[in-house]
Amino acid sequence: MSEAEAIAASRVPAGLKTALQRCALAAILLVVWWLVSLVTPAYVMPNPIRVWQRIVQLTASGDLPSNLLVTLLRVIAGFLIAVVIGVPAGLVLGSNRTLGNFFEPVLPVLNTVSSAIWAIFAIIWFGLTPLTPIFVVLMTALPLIVTNVWQGTQAVNADFVELARALRFSRAKTLRKIYLPSILPYFFSGARLAFGFGWRVSLVAETIGSSSGVGYRMRQASDLIQTDQVFAWTIVQIAMMLVIEILLLQPLERRLFRWRRDVRS
Amino acid sequence: MHDERLDVRVTGESAARETAPAITFDAISKSFTRPGGKPLEVLRRVGFVVPRGTVVAILGPSGCGKSTLLNMAAGLIAPDAGSVAVMGRDIAAGTVDWSRVGYMFQDDRLLPWRSARQNVALALEAGTMPSRERIARADAAIDLVELAGFAGAYPHELSGGMRSRVALARSLVGEPTILLMDEPFSRLDAQTRSAMHRELLRIQALRQMTILFVTHEIEEAVVLADQIVVMAPRPGRIRTEVAVTIPQPRIGAAATTALVNELRQSLGEAEPAPENHP
Ligand SMILES: Nc1ncnc2c1ncn2[C@@H]1O[C@H](COP(=O)(O)OP(=O)(O)OP(=O)(O)O)[C@@H](O)[C@H]1O
Ligand SMILES: [Mg+2]
Repeated sequence: MSEAEAIAASRVPAGLKTALQRCALAAILLVVWWLVSLVTPAYVMPNPIRVWQRIVQLTASGDLPSNLLVTLLRVIAGFLIAVVIGVPAGLVLGSNRTLGNFFEPVLPVLNTVSSAIWAIFAIIWFGLTPLTPIFVVLMTALPLIVTNVWQGTQAVNADFVELARALRFSRAKTLRKIYLPSILPYFFSGARLAFGFGWRVSLVAETIGSSSGVGYRMRQASDLIQTDQVFAWTIVQIAMMLVIEILLLQPLERRLFRWRRDVRS
Repeated sequence: MHDERLDVRVTGESAARETAPAITFDAISKSFTRPGGKPLEVLRRVGFVVPRGTVVAILGPSGCGKSTLLNMAAGLIAPDAGSVAVMGRDIAAGTVDWSRVGYMFQDDRLLPWRSARQNVALALEAGTMPSRERIARADAAIDLVELAGFAGAYPHELSGGMRSRVALARSLVGEPTILLMDEPFSRLDAQTRSAMHRELLRIQALRQMTILFVTHEIEEAVVLADQIVVMAPRPGRIRTEVAVTIPQPRIGAAATTALVNELRQSLGEAEPAPENHP
């Protein structure tokens, strides 16, 4: 355990150093923003203090939390549907050569379809309902998850499968104890990409095809030239994605993949 | 389709099984077809038996089909011709009880996402043993191979020799009655290797275990085995079988050295350089 403590001890100053660097970077950006706002009209570049007041006001009125939650739930819904469809699809395509070869061209095609096109189709099919942003998130996330899980199945070590055979594991056990852990890193990086992209395209979808959510409120604010509100929404969602990344994804990744050799020097 | 003669035959067979050898290779032939190449004949009419409770070594040059033979005994590949029986049951018939057969592969095959302890416990996960007991047994097996203190380490944190000892523990943890081992000690230093030899012989005598193992080293075969099957390559055949009757402990015994030298000469290997005695 003393070795682990030594490693932990050597990490703390490094972590502190990066934290300080990040704070310095944020401070520099704030100062630059403030300087620019001094020489431009407020409807082009509102100053940081005014944006901060706007964030406080939107939070107090409940407008901000409720719309943030609405958008987040839509992204999560689209993302989860993509996982539920994409993981089995990736597993099947990866384990069946004939099916894999047949469907292979579909993924690059899906990937080239812009989310704006999906949004337009969604409006035609679903109108101004929550289904529109959910559908757009789904169609963006799905190819990413299928591709990554598919790649993961190709990376499963045949020797490990043979080991499972020598131990007389059932098919289900082999899937659970050999295939899934081998595929997990691929799934994780696919899911992470899919969630990030999903968030971005959900805003696009909400600006053109929704009557609630962060994207809708941003378009409203821009139509009324309330630039400080547009800034407020932008900063809040950047903050939210950072919080998800730092408090959820990174610890999860560290826990799931602590068995990996650290490639950083 | 009920046939009385069949019943008689089955009863006769089960009586014979009580005394059947642990493993029987009966005129095994095997060719591998390489993509775009002509078939490679790997084994030609190989036949020998591994009696219960004995240790048998397969000795032979690289590529003569030793691992292929072990894979067949483990039921992982089927011979083209001939048959393999485990405890008197033909593998092809699908009635072998595999829960008491341990297999240590030539490579360690440790799952990188599992600690040493969890890797050893994997061998107990086919059945329904509660996880607490699996872990307790895995820890005991890890102690056995002298890796206590490394149970929580991940494979990448272990040396090659330590990894192969974890693989050894994984093949022992199910308390097999038949143990198949493919070059189990090839990555250990001389000192650890003879400690492992002693440990293996102790467990073997204690549990009346049958061991079939592959080695490149004449000395290792002589020290451990009751019977040495010497193979010749391309295609793999049995060149000769040697019974070893020297009593244990054989390590360092004069008779051991004599037999090793004799085998070396007859198998056409150069004798080791004479040591300089002061
Ligand atoms: N699955 C396979 N497909 C094609 N050829 C194979 C396969 N497995 C083994 N071979 C070939 O069969 C021959 C015997 O292989 P095997 O692994 O049994 O040799 P070995 O005696 O264990 O050698 P070593 O001492 O180097 O481990 C080799 O020439 C190998 O290339
Ligand atoms: Mg081999």
